[in-house]
Amino acid sequence: MTHWFLQPEKSRRTLAVIGAGFLIILVTLYLALPVAALFFRITPELFFSSLSDPEVQSALGLSLVTSIISLAIVILVGTPFAYVHSRITYPGKMIVDTLIDLPLVLPPAVAGVALLVLYGRVGFIGRYLNLFGITLAFTTVAVIMAQIFVASPFYLRQAKSLFEQMDPAYEHTARTLGASPMRIFATITIPLTASGLVSGAVMTFGRALGEFGATIMFAGNLPGVSQTMPLAVYVGMEGNFIVGITISILLVLISFAIMIAVRFLASREVPLA
Amino acid sequence: MNKPSRFNRFILVSIVSALLAITMLLSGCTSSQPSPVTPETTAAIQPTTTMPLQTAGSTPAITTAMPLTTTAASPTTTLAPTYTPSEKTLIVYTAASLKGVSTKLGTQFSAAYPGHSAVFNLDGTQALKTQVENGAYADVFISASNTYTNTLKGEGYFINSTVKPLTTNYLIVILPSDNPGKILTLADLAKSGVKIAMEDKSVPAGTATYAVLANLAKSTYNQDWNTSVFKNVVTYETSEPGVATKVSLGEVDAGFVYESTFTAAPKDTYLAITIPKADNYLQTYTIGVLKQTRSTGAAQEFEDFMLSGAGQQMLKDYGFRPVS
Repeated sequence: MTHWFLQPEKSRRTLAVIGAGFLIILVTLYLALPVAALFFRITPELFFSSLSDPEVQSALGLSLVTSIISLAIVILVGTPFAYVHSRITYPGKMIVDTLIDLPLVLPPAVAGVALLVLYGRVGFIGRYLNLFGITLAFTTVAVIMAQIFVASPFYLRQAKSLFEQMDPAYEHTARTLGASPMRIFATITIPLTASGLVSGAVMTFGRALGEFGATIMFAGNLPGVSQTMPLAVYVGMEGNFIVGITISILLVLISFAIMIAVRFLASREVPLA
Repeated sequence: MNKPSRFNRFILVSIVSALLAITMLLSGCTSSQPSPVTPETTAAIQPTTTMPLQTAGSTPAITTAMPLTTTAASPTTTLAPTYTPSEKTLIVYTAASLKGVSTKLGTQFSAAYPGHSAVFNLDGTQALKTQVENGAYADVFISASNTYTNTLKGEGYFINSTVKPLTTNYLIVILPSDNPGKILTLADLAKSGVKIAMEDKSVPAGTATYAVLANLAKSTYNQDWNTSVFKNVVTYETSEPGVATKVSLGEVDAGFVYESTFTAAPKDTYLAITIPKADNYLQTYTIGVLKQTRSTGAAQEFEDFMLSGAGQQMLKDYGFRPVS
């Protein structure tokens, strides 16, 4: 029996395995090590004790509340919109299609500046709202607006493609059996696309939770009003290091939970046309 | 016959390139020899807003991923950092409030010392301090806070003998030019509905603001005034220019900034309400050469330039006060 490196096929295969394994380890470590390093930077005692820090708690509460509200609005408005957008052709549909994707490519800070220029106190729309006493900039509402702006594409694109891919035969059959469009939407369309929609919603939630640039630009940085977790990390890293690391770890844990949820929920396929 | 050998070659190439990548990564952690940077003396001055770290060989950004092994991250630097004329561009970490004057300072420095240039990284002093503590490379550090300077001195980042006071600055309240909040005196800051922008307390200007408000509450107004003013704060910015921007945009009614920001701004950008000297806070800026510098000579020259008549005059032109 000759050695593996003297047998051409075996040696090639071994090299291939080594090379592939190497690349996989390289990529895995590059992504995993920084996240792991976070956990090793502070002790568990410090972590749990800083969980009761009012700054941490207010950032956590504000982030969760605003992200949930943003998500709710995106789902309530976005689902019918995606349905209409996928089912009918209307003039300008191409443009709307592109606009949906815009916040994905636009740098968040630019989105924040844009929102400020439009809805700020001297903004183009904001100045009229100001006359009625409505202020948007530097409020929690601004946080929600910023989150919706940057996170909605995740849900809209997902919903749109789900509705497009779904076999319309189901809806047509239901129609012939006498169901109203609303009933069809609620009992046929949604249940069939549910798992995909939920995974889109979960990604939207994650994006909204992590929003920084647009928030700090449009909503400012005020604990309890606009200091979400990412902002608290940024400020914390420059002053209260422990708070910064604690909130970073919290965000990592939430992100992991989100990813597991997406994997679990995206497993069911939509019945294709 | 052909296919297996092509696949084999591909695997070989990928292994070699992965090894190269690892080598580059590791070399980034330990190298000290900067690749010669051809300093475009005037061109290098342009980016005075937050400069990314110069990519001259050593890439200290990588060291932040490893457990913080402090300043010993580049252990292969030779014992006496040598004076390298003309090849070096100095990296100056500067308190953000020097934003307006830094361009001019860079140009004048290059004019006074031909072949030298300075690149400024402008940010809140607290942000710069964190960056240095986490391994960022800089030659000179201009701090807006004695507290942070002393912390960095204690942690061993400065060449302590080079740390000197550079300039001083008082605080002032600025308003948008059309005064939307109808603020005429400091007392009006406590009016309900007024929007105030302030720096976060980790920013030197923020600490100064807190102190000034406490002084004013004790001497002139009362504690309720102090409480109402804080209730009117809508944002705690992470740098002093951030406050100035919010005021100039008209999005807030008032902001606490340094006098120099008001003096150096174009006419009619802001209105201002001065704070009585007795209650005001005199911020002292310090300049110092960092121990990690690879060009002590050039860095010292920059510090000398900043402390010289020319440098001090330029600071004065932009509204800074001399060290008493």
